Amino acid sequence: MKIGIEIHQRLDSSKLFCNCSSNLTEGEPVFTIQRKLHPVLSELGETDDASRVESAKRRLFEYHVFSENNCLVEMDEEPPRNMNRKALLIALEIAKQLNATIVEEVYVMRKIVIDGSNTSGFQRTSVIALNGHVHTSKGSVRITSIALEEESAGIISSSDSKASYRLDRLGIPLVEITTAPDIKDAAHLRETAEKIGMILRATGKVARGLGTIRQDVNISTEGGARVEIKGAQDLKMLPDLVENESKRQLELLKIIHDLRSKQVAGVKKSICDVTSIFKKTDATLIKKGLESGSVVLGQSLPGFAGILGRELQPKKRFGTELSNYAKMAGVKGIIHSDENLSKYKISEDEQRHLQKQLGECFALVVAPEPQAKAALEYVIQRANMEFVPEETRKANPDATSSYMRPLPGKARLYPETDVPPIPVTKELLESVESTESLEDKQKKLEKLLNKELAAKMIKSRYLHVFELLVKAKADPKIAATTIENTLVSLRREGIEFQDVEKALLDMFEEFNKDTFVKAAIPEVLKGMAKGASAESVVKVYRLQKITGDELKKIIEDENHDLKAIMAKHRLQVDPAEVAKLLKAKK
Amino acid sequence: MYSKKILDKLKKKKIDIGDTITVKTKDHIYEGLLMPRPTLGDSDVLVLKLNTGYNIGITADSFELVATTSAKVETEKTEEPKKKGDIAILGCGGTIASRVEYKTGAVYPSITPKELRTTFPELEKWPIHSKQVFSLFSEDMNAYHWKLIADEIEQEIKDGSQGVVIMHGTDTLTYTSSAISFMLQNLPIPVIFVGSQRSSDRPSSENKMNLINSVFSATRDFGEVAVCMHASTNDDFCYLHRGTKVRKMHTSRRDAFKSINAKPMFAVDYRTKRFEELSEHKKRNKGDLISKKKLNDNVALVYVHPGIKPDLISKLDSYDGVVLMATGLGQVPTGVFEGKHVKGIYKPIKELIASDIPVVVSSQCITGRVCLRVYSNGRLLKDAGVIGDDADWTPEAAFTKLCWALGQTKKMDEVRKLMETDIAGELSSRSILE
Repeated sequence: MKIGIEIHQRLDSSKLFCNCSSNLTEGEPVFTIQRKLHPVLSELGETDDASRVESAKRRLFEYHVFSENNCLVEMDEEPPRNMNRKALLIALEIAKQLNATIVEEVYVMRKIVIDGSNTSGFQRTSVIALNGHVHTSKGSVRITSIALEEESAGIISSSDSKASYRLDRLGIPLVEITTAPDIKDAAHLRETAEKIGMILRATGKVARGLGTIRQDVNISTEGGARVEIKGAQDLKMLPDLVENESKRQLELLKIIHDLRSKQVAGVKKSICDVTSIFKKTDATLIKKGLESGSVVLGQSLPGFAGILGRELQPKKRFGTELSNYAKMAGVKGIIHSDENLSKYKISEDEQRHLQKQLGECFALVVAPEPQAKAALEYVIQRANMEFVPEETRKANPDATSSYMRPLPGKARLYPETDVPPIPVTKELLESVESTESLEDKQKKLEKLLNKELAAKMIKSRYLHVFELLVKAKADPKIAATTIENTLVSLRREGIEFQDVEKALLDMFEEFNKDTFVKAAIPEVLKGMAKGASAESVVKVYRLQKITGDELKKIIEDENHDLKAIMAKHRLQVDPAEVAKLLKAKK
Repeated sequence: MYSKKILDKLKKKKIDIGDTITVKTKDHIYEGLLMPRPTLGDSDVLVLKLNTGYNIGITADSFELVATTSAKVETEKTEEPKKKGDIAILGCGGTIASRVEYKTGAVYPSITPKELRTTFPELEKWPIHSKQVFSLFSEDMNAYHWKLIADEIEQEIKDGSQGVVIMHGTDTLTYTSSAISFMLQNLPIPVIFVGSQRSSDRPSSENKMNLINSVFSATRDFGEVAVCMHASTNDDFCYLHRGTKVRKMHTSRRDAFKSINAKPMFAVDYRTKRFEELSEHKKRNKGDLISKKKLNDNVALVYVHPGIKPDLISKLDSYDGVVLMATGLGQVPTGVFEGKHVKGIYKPIKELIASDIPVVVSSQCITGRVCLRVYSNGRLLKDAGVIGDDADWTPEAAFTKLCWALGQTKKMDEVRKLMETDIAGELSSRSILE
């Protein structure tokens, strides 16, 4: 099995080809627009398979437009502006961190994507570096390319005839890091993804939060095919995703073998109209379809009995694969004879008639006639593949995957004629900031913290906050435990900060004034979560540090009992100071 | 273009653009297709299309040929036989009908019948034939090209076409549509100009909807020059604007074309067969075509601005006619009433008119009607004999009309009469409410 990964990480800058903000808000759209897309020839005079498939659906696309995040560029009503220099510099910095060779001229390309996720029908993308590598515990993983590209629009809803998207995130700069198929196994995949993620975060210049990093996994198995699985948001999912895909390809190979040994000679097109069987049907799905003008078409699948029901992935059968192909015609799916037809309320009589007309094994589609026919043609096409097809698949939340479209070829890329090539000049390269490498950062952390905490911190998504705090003279150990422990337990209690960075800087500034003790940090933060300043929280919640004569009095009152003192005044006294006073007394 | 150094090396190794080559640099070896350099100028940086489809620029230490591509551009016949009742599609270039052949870097018209049908399969519904008249950026066109187009349309009418659709660049499209409106009057069939704002090489191009709506409209019952473009930013329907009453009002939006001082003639959607009348229009086959194609394009169109130098106007005496884009209701600085710091252009205008050079006024406000009776500066112009009082024409219509009028007659009084008479809907008697 060969595994490679593509990591998409949003950068912390305004949009790549206009000056709109990349800060997404929850606001309402100012208006919506409606568009259609159609396939075009590439510069090589070819159309791309993937885009042909999508265009066959002829869907209407609706776009929600947001005032802060959109201008005419995202609406595809104005040519792109110049490439955002800040984003380019960040991408070049990342390329350096990944030991890659930077190209001498950046060519912005159009990658045809006509599922509506880009108003223009393409995504602007450009290779900025090649041939890098990243070190892992199982050896070096090569990085074939690093590209700087536009984020797509966010999907709101999708149906057979229409898809709706939000335009606010369209055009946010992303780096796409593609590795060679050097990854050894599922655990190594996770490690590589984590390592690259850490390198990206270590620059301090990438976006943070949910959805700002995504992984696509490329898997190919011996005898199988290369499959790209898109959209795994959670690293924890990766090992299961790999396992499920390798199982799917293995099962497919077994099916191919079994069909061969049964000498099944392929499915011949014999689509027939079986609508009349369902004239008085109780099957809700079919009844509803017929009422709205659909027909029921059937195709016999001789030799596939038992195979349609075979599980390829948890709860995903061979029939599901056929059904996913059928969906390309814009239908909702298929009904097949390895399913329990009674669950659709198809009567035994109707089942008998179906078998008489279509044989033991068959697929049915309920849809308007041209669509139903096209859907069954896709079913036949898939059934007749005596190989594992190369596909782009979508990661499902349960770590299985579903067919999306054929693997896109190079026909989908052609030059963006509205953006001239960008020379990577000496001046530009000199402007690239050289932040410390991840290794250097790790060494530095190990000097500040114990090994365990350093290892935690280097992986933390708040590494940049830690660095800021240390710069602001916070105690490194307290800063690290606050970030890695205190914040985590507060989050478990449902306490979140809108701006963690700001809150922690404020809290540590106050702490450094010695107005409250370490043990009170969680309480102070709790108070601050509602937006109050550290200073006012300390006052209002009476968390001021007790010291001097007042502390001496407490010691007297508690009969010099450290335990009793701490039990009562834990949040206000510094145990070290108490211990010192106690010692002095003795 | 590549530098001479590179071109010489390529020639020596018999490498053509589009061939697969390997490129050695100091660190790596790359393989890919050699692409043309997209920008002008001279360069040593090779553009390579990698297997992934990405293009990159690299300086080569050396490069070698791996395989040649024999794929040559198909040269296809650009004209096909016509039948009576056809809709003729004429190609004149522009964004709508061009694509870049990246192997050579040349721009090719995609007007060939095969390409039209491949790109727009919906066209199969109608009997069409197509012809490439020429392929130009619209800003490169002039009266010579208007004449070529008019000749083609006249021929199509003679040959019995039921309508003509002309694919045209958008920048100067309304100059052409105006000129044709004057050159070919009393049209028996619809003549529809169409363009697109998004290039045809992008999936979001509105060329498809505009073109198909044009072809659909060409089968309908009207006999005028119209411009068919998107009605809004949505891909929902198009407007047919009158050829003399339309203007490009945005640099890039799909709905850049607006009817000026008029409503569009029709709202069109071929998918729902909508062909909704929005304003008055001439029906088809009402009388015979009046062909008056002669033009005199020795006409200047001048934008009046604060501080405009009298000298600039004096120097226009080598022209046969002048159109001014005047301020507001039609004023220009005259310098007659407040002479101290004002250098007006009243005197040179008067001199032009005195030497039988017609001076025509339109407004840089674009919308609204010229009125030379409100302000003193306007009255002076009117007294001097400037043409255009009460006109609600666009500057483009005024300009092309003057070219046409000067092509019909040299007599000032006849030019004035032609200019002041509504010929092709360019002048309306009522200012509509919008």
